[in-house]
Amino acid sequence: MSASARTPEQLDARALARSRREAMRRRARRIRRSVSVLAATLFSIAFLVISVQLASGHDPALLANSAKREAAASAAKSSGASGASGATEETSGDDSGASSGEASTATGEASASSSEASSSAGESSSGASAVTTSQS
Amino acid sequence: MHTTSANTLATAVAPHLFWITSRAAGVAALLLSSLTVCAGLLIGGRVVSGHRAELRVTHEALSLATLAALVIHGLALLGDGYLHPSLGDIALPLISGYRTLWTSIGIVAFWALLVLGLSYYARARIGVQRWRRLHRFAALAWILGLAHSLGEGTDAGQMWFLAMIALVVIPALLLLAARLLDSAPAATAGDTARVARARVAR
Repeated sequence: MSASARTPEQLDARALARSRREAMRRRARRIRRSVSVLAATLFSIAFLVISVQLASGHDPALLANSAKREAAASAAKSSGASGASGATEETSGDDSGASSGEASTATGEASASSSEASSSAGESSSGASAVTTSQS
Repeated sequence: MHTTSANTLATAVAPHLFWITSRAAGVAALLLSSLTVCAGLLIGGRVVSGHRAELRVTHEALSLATLAALVIHGLALLGDGYLHPSLGDIALPLISGYRTLWTSIGIVAFWALLVLGLSYYARARIGVQRWRRLHRFAALAWILGLAHSLGEGTDAGQMWFLAMIALVVIPALLLLAARLLDSAPAATAGDTARVARARVAR
């Protein structure tokens, strides 16, 4: 059927359908854009909250790890103290024992930041593995 | 003043950039996927009668955004200096030594969401009815993702995280429950009608 053979009603209906399709296409574009903005906003908010949490020293993972390290350090301290009391009579100037004791103390006192952790790791090779910043 | 605090923030964030990116993308993915489930359930439900076309576009856009966030969530971990995961660790279940169960659940959820989500573009080939039946498992994949984030997520115990999740997860769970309750009697009615038709045919 050619365009000239169509009745005015049919032409109106086609124009209406075309305009409705266009309107839907415009709405779809707007929805897609809004969802992209929403996704970017959610990501940015989460990124900011986590960053601020980390910078203020309230990060859950780093707090948990520092607590673990403190517990390990206090355990090492107590075992080191009992070991040292027994070893004082044998060798009062035992360098290796003293350095490992210092390393474990440094481990307990090390804050969550990786720069501090790496500096204390540099002091003693025995403490390095324990001091490595853990994030999980 | 502002410059100092910005510098402090940048100094604290810089060593953990990939890790924070992964965590933020994970949070965004969870929120987006919950919204996707809500939109998907609203399309077929009775809660919203009109605006089906808009809901369909929203559902599609949200699911694509979810997949993008999930890809960032996984790939950002590759740059993490502490975990040092390999591509296999983040892409294949039961490979990573780090919280193997929860990590594997997350990986399975990701692949399921990817396959079930992208299958929409092949539904003509799959068959619309078969695709619809398959697509229902997307809700299960979302629940697996939710379990992964609550079981392994670093921020799972944080108030802001729980509040943010509750806002989108609770409505999605309610809609899912409503759909399941709604579809159970419908299935029974459908079965009865099928049996009746079979008797008439005999």
